[in-house]
Amino acid sequence: MRGTWPAVAFFAAAALGPIVVRDAFLLDGLILILLWGASAAAWNVAGGYAGQVSLGHAAFFGLGAYSAALLGTRWGVSPWIGLLVGAGLATAFGFILGFLSNRLRGPYFVLATIAFSQVLLIVASRWRGFTSGSEGIPVPFRPGFWTLGIADKRGWVYLVLVLAALLYLVQLYLERSRRGYQLAAVREDEDAALSLGVPARRLKVAAIAVSAALTAACGTLWAQYVGFVDPYYVFSVDLSVRFCLAAILGGIGTPLGPFLGAALITILETSLRARFGGIGAGLVGIYLIIYGVVLIVTMRFAPQGLLPWFGEHLRRRPHPGTAP
Amino acid sequence: MSLLSVAGITKRFGGITANRDVSFDVAPGELVGIIGPNGSGKSTLFEIISGFYRPDAGEVRLDGGSLTGLSPDRVCRLGIARTFQKLRPFAGLTVVDNVMIGALTRTHDVRHARARARDLLDRVGLAEKADAHARTLSTGQRKRLELARALATEPRVLLLDEVTGGVDQRSIPGLVQLVRDLHRGGLTLLVIEHNMRVITAVAQRIVALYLGEKIADGTPDAVTRDRRVVDAYLGQAYTQ
Repeated sequence: MRGTWPAVAFFAAAALGPIVVRDAFLLDGLILILLWGASAAAWNVAGGYAGQVSLGHAAFFGLGAYSAALLGTRWGVSPWIGLLVGAGLATAFGFILGFLSNRLRGPYFVLATIAFSQVLLIVASRWRGFTSGSEGIPVPFRPGFWTLGIADKRGWVYLVLVLAALLYLVQLYLERSRRGYQLAAVREDEDAALSLGVPARRLKVAAIAVSAALTAACGTLWAQYVGFVDPYYVFSVDLSVRFCLAAILGGIGTPLGPFLGAALITILETSLRARFGGIGAGLVGIYLIIYGVVLIVTMRFAPQGLLPWFGEHLRRRPHPGTAP
Repeated sequence: MSLLSVAGITKRFGGITANRDVSFDVAPGELVGIIGPNGSGKSTLFEIISGFYRPDAGEVRLDGGSLTGLSPDRVCRLGIARTFQKLRPFAGLTVVDNVMIGALTRTHDVRHARARARDLLDRVGLAEKADAHARTLSTGQRKRLELARALATEPRVLLLDEVTGGVDQRSIPGLVQLVRDLHRGGLTLLVIEHNMRVITAVAQRIVALYLGEKIADGTPDAVTRDRRVVDAYLGQAYTQ
């Protein structure tokens, strides 16, 4: 599915959401889908396009969340500045991780990324004087666009929609540009790419750094939207897995895939939790089982992810005779 | 005068000396073959020339400029392309995308690169496979793909590691003709080849390696009659 119409349809539907829907619960779901989709897309830049699978991207997400929250609460700095600071810090750490990726390959790189996010978790939860430690930081609500104090959920939809569309365009660039093709070559076979003049190491480092900066931007917006930063959440391996899972479910290395995957995960999670979760529910925990089963079934029948699966099945339809 | 100059190359892996003081020159437009039994250091020499290994001593020069210590991608951009003995296509990409990667080293325009890639596929006889995934190709087709991909980087010197190795007998004449055509077109080539019939037919000069050292360097006729080459590699039967 090389065309962009599914993406145009997806983002147009998201843009229409606030006009059609007034329900705060649904709008909240839409915001989270776009935010998680953008985060998964940022992960996809390194994990999908550059083939550098990371399970430590929560580190960058957390850096973005903490930078804005700390600068805002301690010095009253605008979260927009915080976003830039967070992205800058994440870029620096991304470079370090990128250089690591040139030394460590496959599972060793993955382990290094997990360790990296755990180190930041320890710093954030123990450096009480600065980060408030494991209590976390409430983000104060100060009305206005400059302070990101937006009470209306519709405003948030459009804000994160801009971020999501930006992430989509970054991925589209990686799909079609010279650098994108070269990155695909590095992902397929680094030595062969080098022999053809592709500056493989530099490209990998750049991809990881860009991915880190974009993940941090998502972290900032998420923290400002939710209003609270908890170190055990933003630096958790669970969160890293969520980015990775959304990208894989939707279609790793495809521009729209992470958004579809995030939509599936978020819808499943919130609807199942609303139905089966909560105090006094009869089947506590069953939602996790259903959630797990749906993920397994999806990967069983669409191992390449949802987007490639849709692409294949929509193309097959005109030739019913050839279907298995 | 020489385009590619290999001067005093020595490479050790622990206690094993893969190349010992190997020197030879390749003139512009020349096709030089490298022969030698397995383990004689032919592939190591290729890895050194293409920048994948760093020699312990000696220097590789392209048109007078030293290549020693440069990364493989730099070496390629300076004008040396190579194929791999163990073929390494980008299996998940289409054939035309494979060749485009090479072309994109010389042009920033994706559309232009694609057009060039299609031209090259035409030239190596893979045009009808352009949109297939590289993993679906046969060994012979993969050899052609590697050739097209390397050519797309517009090399001044092309290093070919075993053009006919692992290819079925019927595909050999076509591949040999392709190499000949490239040479006739003015390209400078350095070719590792086990098939003596092939190498003596295409090469103007042959360098023979044995246990990491150069033991002969000359015309195919002279090298195949050389006492040491016969003893080390070809065997008595070859001369009779």
